[in-house]
Amino acid sequence: MNKKTKWSLIGALLFGLVFSGIAIAQTKLVFPVHWSDFNVDGMYDEEGNLIAKGLSQYVEEYMRLNPDIEIEIQSVSFENYLQKILVAHMSGMSPDIFQIYALWGVSLVDSGVLDVPPADVIRDVRANYTPSAVIGTTIDGQIWGFPTEVDNYCLVYNKELFGEAGFTEPPATWAELVEMAPKLTKYDAEGNITQYGFAFLSGWESAVVHPFLSLLWSNGGEFLSEDYKECLVNSEEGIGALEAELELFRKRGTDASGSVWEFPNGTVAMMIMAPWYESSLKVGLQEKYEDVVGVAPIPILKEKVNAQYTWFACVGSGSKHKEEAWDFLRWFCSDVQPATNTTRQGDLMAGNVGALPPRKIDMENQETLGDLYTQTFIEELEYARGEPNIFQGAEIKRILMNEIVKTWNAQKTAKQALDDAVKQINEILAEFY
Amino acid sequence: MVKKQVRRRKRRKSKQALIGYLFLSPVFLFYSIFLVFPIGFSLYLSFHRWNMLTPPLKARYMGMKHFTYLLIQDETFLIVLKNTLFYALGTVFIGMILALIVALAFSRTKYSSIWRFVYFAPVVTPPVAIGMIWGYLYRPTDGLINTVLRWFYLPGQQWLSSPAQALPSIMITGMWAGVGFTMLIFIAGLKGIPEMYYDAARIDGANFWQAFWHITLPLLKPTILFVLVTGMIGAWQVFDLVFMMSSGGIDTGVVPFESVGVVALHMYQTAFRYMRMGRASAMAFILFLVVLAFTLIELRVLRRGGVESY
Repeated sequence: MNKKTKWSLIGALLFGLVFSGIAIAQTKLVFPVHWSDFNVDGMYDEEGNLIAKGLSQYVEEYMRLNPDIEIEIQSVSFENYLQKILVAHMSGMSPDIFQIYALWGVSLVDSGVLDVPPADVIRDVRANYTPSAVIGTTIDGQIWGFPTEVDNYCLVYNKELFGEAGFTEPPATWAELVEMAPKLTKYDAEGNITQYGFAFLSGWESAVVHPFLSLLWSNGGEFLSEDYKECLVNSEEGIGALEAELELFRKRGTDASGSVWEFPNGTVAMMIMAPWYESSLKVGLQEKYEDVVGVAPIPILKEKVNAQYTWFACVGSGSKHKEEAWDFLRWFCSDVQPATNTTRQGDLMAGNVGALPPRKIDMENQETLGDLYTQTFIEELEYARGEPNIFQGAEIKRILMNEIVKTWNAQKTAKQALDDAVKQINEILAEFY
Repeated sequence: MVKKQVRRRKRRKSKQALIGYLFLSPVFLFYSIFLVFPIGFSLYLSFHRWNMLTPPLKARYMGMKHFTYLLIQDETFLIVLKNTLFYALGTVFIGMILALIVALAFSRTKYSSIWRFVYFAPVVTPPVAIGMIWGYLYRPTDGLINTVLRWFYLPGQQWLSSPAQALPSIMITGMWAGVGFTMLIFIAGLKGIPEMYYDAARIDGANFWQAFWHITLPLLKPTILFVLVTGMIGAWQVFDLVFMMSSGGIDTGVVPFESVGVVALHMYQTAFRYMRMGRASAMAFILFLVVLAFTLIELRVLRRGGVESY
């Protein structure tokens, strides 16, 4: 090989390398999620067959269809998800796509963290999603993304324990529930509860506050004034709602050590729970699932109502690839798959995560939404009322939770606790409204 | 002539000083960026309301509000202060006793360097890894600790899943992780005690305990003071272990935050969950004052016992 040929070959090789580098140059989108591993990686049976796709399978499909796009899924725990968004945004390395709990939205919108969706996305959301989901995604009159998940609450009960106690129907009113709970409760020799007629869950804001809000609204009360300047939970209706919970403690149908997570172990007869617990119940109860799990509307105080919250997918204002990010979300949340007449996002929510997909077409066509567990949640959406999207929502909920739990532990009366909660919450509201 | 010489000498000295400062400037710059500025910024924030997303200079001035809120209204802050004190006293005092026993044993054991290596290994292991491994060990259903307990027909415990046991469980891990470092310091302290004192005591008929109480312990006081002060300062700021080992329980509501939370974790949640950087900064300064007060008390108490070198 002479010198000329050698240099020509080297030149061609270098050109090829550069050219191939250009050809495979990709736009990288970062998509942090707060889900469990099986929500991301998919659900498999014992033989290793995929039974429900996870987010990664959809992302891989999109990347196959769009070879110039690379999407990196980052798993972050729920507790650290908001922090991840904030710190990344602050450091100028904002992820491209987020899943936002609507309660965080106000602060994020106020601080300019979220990108304003394109007009077609806004039109699509207005036209094709359930009204409560659209409200959940709307902050200051502006829609900020595709609603991906709505969660409301129902009464979940153990049919086997009901049968053992001689009950055939779940309670329809809170008074009935309070009467039934002690009969479903078992105690050991020292009087400690070994089987809970009803279980609450302390320590987690939503698990305490959402059932309370359901009862508050059912009792005709309000959480906040319309202008968000005042907290109203210490009204007569609010105190009545908390007293209704405390009646369960007084009648020994529950105590503050109860935990909804014990339901799959067969030691909880009733609890108020969200739709996403379905997968855990199936895993925990295995073949007994259908014999054990029953779902009914939350027993009412005065009106039929249950609390609801929303998550939505959106694009970060700091993203360098907003257009590509919105394209992915259109494909994932909005494009209807002809074979099933559902969206991919809807399939993931209904088939894997166990949450309710809020797009109307998914509500109509997702088969799993009609199953034993989810159907009642769907029916109850008609009576669902979204928690208000307010500044410092997480902090306000923590205050309310702390005060409610004090009444469970008999450290305060319902009035004292709610008065104290109102005082603290009003101070926060005064900072922002 | 003399004046000229003096001037020249002065010039040379100032030139030398300038060169000295030039050599030191990277260190000054490093400390300014990574220590002085963050402390100053935190102090500024502790009097302001800032959520990280708006320009800090536009943050609203709050005066002493954060401090009064934390000390008067925030019940959680007082609870986590108590938890942190419990953690610090438990890990430092029990850990110190364990480390002293181990150090005494190794000072008389063959192949002590191997044992020292074994005990020191956790010190060089990242706390995140330690938290994860102990998290597995503590699992109530299939964790190694409960498995061993069951071998001896003892009831398995809930450990990190129990509101009452979660913090003590983390303390056990904290002690395990720190005992190697304290042990090394004690070994160094023990080696510094002249052997002639023990020889003299033996001639006088002193047994091991008498020698320990009247020679070892008094002469180890400077070491004990050092271990106590540095250990307490570290323990007051504990975060990584508690964060790693408690988040599972807190996230799911199994363990209430109040039963396991420490100041640094509360600070972290206040800053990043409730987006209250100002209040979190105020918490940091209160913690600083608490640590300072405890350190001064420790120094005073132990100095009264005759330790003058610290």
